[in-house]
Amino acid sequence: MSAAGFHLTPLGQSSALLEPSRSLDISRVEELIEEVVRRLQARRASLVYYDLSDLSLIDGVYYAWLNRLAVACKAINVRMVCISMQPTAAFALAGMTLLPPQFETALDLTG
Amino acid sequence: MAQKTTNLGTRLRDILKLQIGSISETIEREGRTIFGGSNNLLANEEVTDFCLEFLQLLMALLESRDPTDDTTPQFHALEMFFNNLSKQILVRGGRVEDLVRFNQFMQRTLIDSLEKEEQAKPSKQAVQQDFQELKEILLFLSGTFNELDLAVFQAYLEEKEKTIYAQEAELRETATPITQIWDGVLTLPIIGTLDSSRTMLVMEALLNRIAQDRAQAVVMDLTGVKNIDSQVSHHLIQMVRAVQLMGSDAILTGIRPEIARALTSLNIDLGGVTTRASLSDGLKEAFRRMNIQVSSQN
Repeated sequence: MSAAGFHLTPLGQSSALLEPSRSLDISRVEELIEEVVRRLQARRASLVYYDLSDLSLIDGVYYAWLNRLAVACKAINVRMVCISMQPTAAFALAGMTLLPPQFETALDLTG
Repeated sequence: MAQKTTNLGTRLRDILKLQIGSISETIEREGRTIFGGSNNLLANEEVTDFCLEFLQLLMALLESRDPTDDTTPQFHALEMFFNNLSKQILVRGGRVEDLVRFNQFMQRTLIDSLEKEEQAKPSKQAVQQDFQELKEILLFLSGTFNELDLAVFQAYLEEKEKTIYAQEAELRETATPITQIWDGVLTLPIIGTLDSSRTMLVMEALLNRIAQDRAQAVVMDLTGVKNIDSQVSHHLIQMVRAVQLMGSDAILTGIRPEIARALTSLNIDLGGVTTRASLSDGLKEAFRRMNIQVSSQN
């Protein structure tokens, strides 16, 4: 299930994998959040994995987008787990903020 | 100038051609004394080979349009030859002083061969006609061998830099002994002070190990940390956050009473950070989270 800039793959009964593509335009944050939330609700998902494996660097803007999406997911009772964060991205993010993020993290889909 | 340099090249080339046998034999003998025998830096065959190659390269330089021009490919080839030879000898434990002395010896041998040729001429002709030419040849030899000495020093510096870099890498490795103590469990004992540059190194190594080993838990042991200030604690939390962002559990262990007291006065929030009293408790916690049970057989 593709939309502008991301692909949502159902995983089992109530999970989904969100894979952002290079064309994801996070300046359209409001539209994107609505679109993701709508799709998650349509699938009755309670858990969404956000795949970060293609992002070698996460800047403040992207981090803010992840946090806002995580807050929106919490609002509809969906856990957002970011997976496969690259060491370079984690390194940069840890230097940016010491506060815990709004989303959960895991090594990969297996946890 | 070009005519003069051509004459210089022709003159030296002629001398070399006439006395190539004795020049080669002399420098080879000295080369074997300095680098061969008990010094065991080069085998006799290697000394023979490099003496021949040196003379061939020198001949090629003398045949070039302007032998005094240090930008020609011929000059560069001679320089690179010395650079590589020096590296080879230095890697085998040779001394830079010996390389420079050998260079000086080769220069002296060439000047001696020039002298021999001059002695063979009628003295009046030698003094009157060739003074300017001799001066040019000596200046050429001096300039060329100075450049070759520089090539030797360049190689020496490069080798030293390599050694320093390797030592630094080894120090970094030993300063951050990240060990996979169990499948998916890493331990990192932190000893001494965590300054910014060390934190960056430790963090980089740790995050790469997490990705490489797919580590689910990292136990960071602070038993070896004697003092903590706001900067160190900031770096510590930064490391914990980075580990958590990768999707691993970070467990801090071995926090001394004085460190705990310092953390309270520094207003450091350890909320969301798992802490345990000792390394063994930290490992037990990591195992518990991974549903691993370690029990005695009795």
